[in-house]
Order: sequence, then C-alpha cells, then structure tokens
Amino acid sequence: MTTLAWWLICAQFRTRRAATLLSMLAIALGVALGYAIHLINDAALADFARAMQTVQGDPDALLAARDSAGSVPLESINDIARDPAVLVIAPVIETRVRIEPARTPVRLIGLDVFSAAAVMPKLLPRQSDRVAGNLFDGGVYVSPALLGQLGLSAGAAVTLRRGDQHWATTIAGDLPGTGPDDLLLVADIAWVQEHFGPANAVSEGRVRLAPATDPASWRAALAGQLPAGLLLRAPDDESARVSNLSRAYRVNLNVLALVALLTGAFLVFATQLTAVAQRSTQFALLGVLGLSPRMRLLQVLLEGLAIGVPGALLGLALGYVLALAFTQLLGGDLGGGYFAGSAPRIVPQMLPALIFLALGCVASLAGALYPAYLNREQPLAQALKIGFAQRPPAGDAQRVRRLLPVLLALAALVLTQLPAIFDLPLAGYTAIALVLVIGIASAPLLTQNVFGGFARRSLPAPQRIAIQNVAQAPLMAQVAASGLIVSFALTASMVIMVSSFRVAVDHWLDEVLPAPLYLRSKSTPLPQELLAALTRPEVPFARVEQSAQASLTIDPQRPNVALLVREIERSHPEARLPFTGPVLAPPAGDIAVVWISEALHEIYRIAPGQTLRLPLLGRAIEVFVGGVWRDYSRQFGAIAISRDDYQRLGGDFQPTDLALWPRPGQEAAATAWLAPYTGQYGLEVADAAEIRRLSLSIFDKSFAVTYALEAAAMLIGLFGLAVTLAASVCLRARELATLGALGFSRRMLSRAVMLEGALIAAVGLFIGLACGIAIGTILTQVINPQAFHWRMSLHIPWPALLAGAGSTLVAAVLASHYAARQATRLPVAQVLASAQ
Amino acid sequence: MLTVSGLSKRHPRASRPLFSALAFHIAAGEIVALVGESGVGKSTLLNCIAGLESADRGAICIGPQALDIVRLDETARAALRAQHIGFVFQAFHVLPTLNVAQNISVPLLLCGVPAGEHASRTQVLLERVGLAGFGERWPASLSGGELQRVAIARALVHQPALILADEPTGNLDPRTAGEVLSLLLERVREQQTSALIVTHSQPLAQCCDRILALTPDGLQ
Repeated sequence: MTTLAWWLICAQFRTRRAATLLSMLAIALGVALGYAIHLINDAALADFARAMQTVQGDPDALLAARDSAGSVPLESINDIARDPAVLVIAPVIETRVRIEPARTPVRLIGLDVFSAAAVMPKLLPRQSDRVAGNLFDGGVYVSPALLGQLGLSAGAAVTLRRGDQHWATTIAGDLPGTGPDDLLLVADIAWVQEHFGPANAVSEGRVRLAPATDPASWRAALAGQLPAGLLLRAPDDESARVSNLSRAYRVNLNVLALVALLTGAFLVFATQLTAVAQRSTQFALLGVLGLSPRMRLLQVLLEGLAIGVPGALLGLALGYVLALAFTQLLGGDLGGGYFAGSAPRIVPQMLPALIFLALGCVASLAGALYPAYLNREQPLAQALKIGFAQRPPAGDAQRVRRLLPVLLALAALVLTQLPAIFDLPLAGYTAIALVLVIGIASAPLLTQNVFGGFARRSLPAPQRIAIQNVAQAPLMAQVAASGLIVSFALTASMVIMVSSFRVAVDHWLDEVLPAPLYLRSKSTPLPQELLAALTRPEVPFARVEQSAQASLTIDPQRPNVALLVREIERSHPEARLPFTGPVLAPPAGDIAVVWISEALHEIYRIAPGQTLRLPLLGRAIEVFVGGVWRDYSRQFGAIAISRDDYQRLGGDFQPTDLALWPRPGQEAAATAWLAPYTGQYGLEVADAAEIRRLSLSIFDKSFAVTYALEAAAMLIGLFGLAVTLAASVCLRARELATLGALGFSRRMLSRAVMLEGALIAAVGLFIGLACGIAIGTILTQVINPQAFHWRMSLHIPWPALLAGAGSTLVAAVLASHYAARQATRLPVAQVLASAQ
Repeated sequence: MLTVSGLSKRHPRASRPLFSALAFHIAAGEIVALVGESGVGKSTLLNCIAGLESADRGAICIGPQALDIVRLDETARAALRAQHIGFVFQAFHVLPTLNVAQNISVPLLLCGVPAGEHASRTQVLLERVGLAGFGERWPASLSGGELQRVAIARALVHQPALILADEPTGNLDPRTAGEVLSLLLERVREQQTSALIVTHSQPLAQCCDRILALTPDGLQ
C-alpha cells in the first residue's frame, strides 16, 4: 500500500508542480515566520538575561525604590544587614552618565567591592598594571565593549557628566567578566555617591541569604515590614517583567505567522480539492479495484502531508536564516523598541523546531481534510463514468448551510465582547478566524443566489455559460474564491487597522506637540546653566515648559509605569493632555491630582474619580485620579502629575525635557541660541514637524513587515484563483470541446472562462472586503485595546480599499487568462477523441 | 464463483424497479455474456455485483468463500473486490500518471502480494497480453487496443475468481476488438477464472459459454 501511495504522491508532484510548490512555499513561509520570531525573541530574552545576570549578579532578593527618582536609605540597608538570615547585602548606586565628548549616556555602577564579590562577581574590576591609582583612589573600570567603542584604554583621563555634575577621573582598568555587548562603567560606591549622589542612600541592595534560609519565605516575611516606597523583588521578577514587556507584540507577530500558515492551509485546500476533482476518475478506479474508502481518505491526507513536511522543513531552514537577517537589520525586538541595542546570537533549537514542524504538518493536514473527505465520499460508479460530482446537500444540510454563517456571526460577536484572557486578546483572534470561516462558507450561497438568478436571463452565449458555471458549481467557485476571500480580507483589515491607527497617531501628535520646538537630555537632568539662562528676559522664547520623566514600579512582574512631571495647570489639564473622557475636579483639600493614561486605566483597572496610593518619593502618597488621557507612546501606562503638586509633595523636580515657543519671527535665533548648550551638554533639539515626521516614519517602518505579508497573501490568493480556474477548466475539457464542436469560437470560449474568473474574483473580493471591514473593526476595537491598550476610532480608507479591490480584480482577470488559454489550447477533436 | 439470488434494485425516484428477483449462477471457469437493451440495467447489475451500488434486496455471493457482498460494509466490499474481482471497462480506465507496469501491479499492491513477486507477475502478464517491453511506457503513448490490453493484464494479474467486463470492446475498431476479445477469453480460460461480460456485441456474446439476456421482465 505504501508503494501505491508513494507512486500517487510522486505522480501528483509531477503533474501539478506549480500548485504543489506554491502550497509548499506558503506553508514554509508560515513556519519560517513563526520559527524566526521564536528564535529571535528567545535569543533576545536569553541575551537580556545574560546581561542582567552580569550586572545584577545572583542575589536571592533585591531591595529597591518603587520610584526611579527615589532611592533606598542606608538605614534600610543596615537594618537588613543585621538580619541573621542575611549572609551579605551588596549596596549599589546605579546612574547614567555621559563620557565626554560622547552624547549617549552609559550605565555607571558604584559598588562595594567586598560585598559585590559575593553577589556580583562578574562586575569585579581588574586593575591595569599601567595605572597607579586603584578603585579606592577614585579610578573607574570600563567594560571592554565600551573601551572598544570609545577607543580608549587604561590610564586615559575621562570626564563623566550627569546634568551639571561632573567627575574628572582616570580609567584604572577593565571589567573582564562583562559580555561583548555590555556598555558600562564600575567605580567604588563612595566615589559615585560623592559625585552624583544620592546622599545617605543607594539605588539598590542586593541580598545573599544564609544557605538554610528559604528566599521566598524570607522575602514574603520582610515585604510587609518595608516602608511604602521600597520594594523587595525576586531576581526572576526582572525576567518576567522583560518577557511581559514584549509579550503582546510577540504574540501579535506570531498571529501574523499563523495567518501566513492559515493562508498556506487554504492553498493546500485549493490544491488538494482541485487535485481530487481532477483525479476523481482515477480514485474511483482505485476504489473499484479495491482501495478502501479509508485508504482513499488517507491518500489525500498523505498527499497534503507530502506538501506540509517538506514545506515545514524548508520553513525551519528559512526561519533560521530570517532570524539571523532580522536580528542584524532590526535587532532583537524586531523593531518593536523593547530591547534597544540588542543583537542577540541566534541558536537553532530542537523542541521549538519540532513544534513548528508539527504546526506546518497540521496546517497542511487541515487543508487536505475536506478534499480527503470528499474523495472518500465520491460515489465510485458515478465518478468512474462522469468524473467529479458534487452532490447537492440534502434539505437539512442546506438549511444548516444557510444558518451556519448567521450562527458563526453571532458567536464572533459574543467573542468580541469577552475580555482578554491571560492579558491576551485570544477571544478576539478566535473571532477573526470565525469571520474568515463565515466568509468562505457564504461564498457558495452568494454565487448560487446571485448568479442563479442571472443565469435565467437572456444573455449572449459566453456570458450565459460563464454565469451558469459559477452558479452550478458552487464548490469550485468556493475553492477559487476562498483564497481571495482570505487574502483580501486580511489585507483590507490590516489596511483599515493601520490607517485607523495612523490617523489616530496623527491627531494625537497634534495634541501632544503644542510647542514648535523641543529639547531633551537623554535620561539625565538638564544643566542648571541652561535652565537659568532661559529665565533671562532677553531669550528668544515667549514661553518655556519643563518636564521630567521617571518610572514607578506598581507591580514588580509588570513593566514599570512612566511618571511624567509636567507644568500643567491643575484646573486646566486638557490644555496639555489629550483626554478621552471628562476631566474631574479634585475634592476640596490639598490632595494631589494625577491624570492616568489609557493603558494604566486598562491594565490596573483604575478609573477617574478614584483615589490611589502611589509609591512615590519613598512613601505611599494618596492621589486623586482626575481623568484618562490618550498615550500611544507608552504601552505599559503613564501617570502625569503637575510640577506644583510634585514639588508640594516634596519631590525634587529635575527637568529632562523642554517645550519651547520661540518669539514670533525669532525661530532661527532660537535654534542658534540653543546651539552652544546642545553641543556642550549633548542635548537634542527637534522641531515639532521633525518629531511628527520621525514618529510617523517609525510608525510606517514598524508595519513594513505587515505590508510584505499582505503582498505575499494577495499573490497567494491570486495564484490560488488561477490554479483553481485552470483545474476547473481541465475538468470541463470535454464540455468546452463539445461547445467548440457546436460552434463556439476559441475567442468565445476564452471570454467565457475569463468572465467566469472575473465573476468568482468579484464574489471573493466582495466577501473579502466585507470580512476585511469586520476584521479591521475587531483589530482596532478589540485586539489593539486588549493587547496594547491603544484605543482609536475606526477609519476606513475607502479609496485605498476600492483601488486595491479594482487592481486585484484586474489581476484576477489576467490570472484567469491563463486558464482560458488552457481551455482553448488543445484542438477540439483531440480533446473529444481522448475523452474517456 | 458467482451466485446471484433474489436481487432487486429500484432507483430512488423511479416508478418501477430496474430489476427484481434476479437469480443466476456462474461456475468456476465459466464465461457468461450479459446482453440487453440500453437502460435495462446491465451496468447497474454489474455495479451491484461489484458492490459499487447497493441492491435493495437479494444476495450476491462471490469467490471461494461465497461472501455475500450485499451484506458487507464499504471497506469489506473494497477488500473483496481487491482479492476476488478483476475489472475491464469500455473506457479502459488506465491511470495516466503511472506507467504500464505500475498500472498492472496496482491490484497486487491492493491485495498484499509480496513486493518481490510484483515484477515477475507483471512481466508474465505483459508477455501474455502481447505488450512485452511496454512496462516503462506511459499510457498517453499507447493506442486504444494497447490500453485495453493493459486493462486486461491488470484484471488478471492477481488471479481473481471473477472478471467483470463492461463493454470491453465498445471503444475499439472491429479488428482490434476481435484481437482484444480473443486475448481476454484466452487468458480468462487459461486462468480458470469466471467472467461476466456486459456487451452489445453479438459476436462477442457468441464466443462466451452462456448468454444471459436482461429485459425489463427479468433474465432470460
């Protein structure tokens, strides 16, 4: 039996090379994308974990401030050090400094070398023989990667700068334990504290417990006794936080890969169904000769698998190559911006490879399932006599067929109302799959109902033949249309989603960029010299607004929340923040007001009007939530607070960003006025138009992969149409030859086949457009809010969609020209004579 | 080798049965011609015997174990066909994607004959039907007569108990039809196989051991 199966598979590959290869490639594409995304993400996380392990070491717990602007008081470190369960606690001060004249800040870690030896051995410095001073004399130790980047070596004098503070020192050695991508400096904690602060406090305390102590129990016991502004983290919280950071983006990319796989499954479906139809007489003969129904079913499944296995293997190889290429081009976060600067090493992995291989096989088997079922069910005697015959469904089946799309639509509607599951829009994705199934299931109903009516009208012969064929062979029409339905629906939905998002971002940028000019330092405070100069009356600025950004840890396992301290009027915040709903006035008294971003509102289920206890400035501070504002730049939430409130609460406002309004007519003078400061302090200046252009360009780049996939999907859909039409023409060779013998010219036959292709394409595009709008709505209203917490209004770009549909229709007519040529290629007499 | 008893068949929307209470027996090695006008049900009877269509009533016992194909399920019918029945069709029905030798060995694969025997048995049959050296040829390069010889070889290669032939010379010119007919009868007799041949050809019918005429009133 295996011999016969093998013969038939080989014959299938020999006789249907193009369709089989394309199906294989579609499966390969899906597997490749999925595997590549997995490899890249896994490598990026491993890379991050390694870098984190270098810097963080291997502690049992980390004591840190919840507020990035805050710090851990030395008394807290000393209290913990006195705990008999604690073997050692290593205090650490971490800050970012510029090494002049470089503009980009790097990490400076101040440590106590004795305790660090127990917890963070990879950060231990190595003294250079050529330098006299050591760690305790105020030397800094630079990672080899940073030394290479700066082109410096031990003994070089450097100036480290953070805002107005600076430290002139010497490179006393390197950090042999750091990795090839680690850009950091290490110095003695006392020296770092002296030059950059904080006084009587540190950034973190890294705890190593006595061997007999259970770290989880110890952390749980101590967590309740800590001051409100401090947090005791487990070392793997950071890994979970980083994994959560890119989770939704990753899942979204994986869903795109699954979509490619789904398209592959549809192509296998079209290929196998047409193959079954074309070979129905042969399968019937094998059935007559004794091939059991089960074996006829298995044969088609095996043929599907014969497409899936090499396709998936090819996909794995392609996925590895793609992963290598993507990490070089886009970095470890695929352009998502989550692990900036990461270019991890890609290592092929056996278990994920097997899982993606299995997924490719499952997709091809799923595609072959219905054709296999039809092959099993074909009545042998009838198929032997007249070839493939689609039996009309019985009364009940017909009713079910009509009801099915309605029931599925209801189910999809219910799914769109469900909340995220494990923080992922799984119900939304299922609703999208259902919409596609509805589209495909409704194709035969539409063709029968619309074209059945047309076929009864008086029409010229070619048109009548074409319309009758579409109306009477709904299964073939369904197969031919299904590829277009899926590909156009997905393309249209992405166009709708991207367009809605772009329009929303465009409007949002209008609101969040009120000033003509912006200046920022990179994570370090702006120099006082500049801030003081800006207060002079002769400056070319009519107005200057300062803001600072820090971060808060609300949930250690989730990414940090941004804290924006801005010059906002408490009574009129809508002048600076794009609110999505009403702005509530705070209750009487001196409670601070914060305005939260949509993401924070959704992730932490915080509503306007509530009071919150925020871990701010080393304590839990009660604040009033005055409203929710739209923020497309911080996916994990942001809290805005007015500068006045922040300072009233005791916060040290150190601005990092400026919004500048040059006086009318003094725009050029304003830029020239800023130039000396930007050069001296490594600051960045950009005008609003430039920021807008850059933002939209980043937006467009991040969707570039999607556009490529859309183009691939459309090509696959068109090819599916051409293949199915060609197969359908091949099945009707005798019928077409008979028409030729009866007096149809080649031109008339060709026109009939092309019209048939155009009608099927029109049905596919119409349904595809309807499904695309439905899926686009789900993407913008369900998937984006649930996965990324981005809400936006639906914007349907009709001109782009209709132009896309029109050009696809033209392409479909051209594709059906191929089928028409097949139909008229052979001489009529030969076809009739060879007909069995 | 074939016993049909009380066989009745009515098409779903037909007013009267196509045939009812048919009964006949074909002994081992006996060749029987089934004649009758078009539409009388000859092909349907053949399909019922092969288990390709279900009979409404009656029994059809085939092979040395006299298995009643009417009572068997689809899978068992397929197995019975693979083991005990060989087919020759008017339209040849040779698989275009397999070469001549592969076509002939399909029944051997289906009834589980050890792979080592395939080549020799196929070769013997090719020689017996006058197609020695044609094993590697593709069906598209063969004439109608040659295709029917391939079909005859395929019908006989697994030494079935019964050959069912539906108008085996219907698509051939008289000279080729004569040659193919002689070949078929010769080989069937040589293998001591029973055969039921549906035909409109009087010369063919006359060459058989017995003639059954199917009429709207039954067998005569």
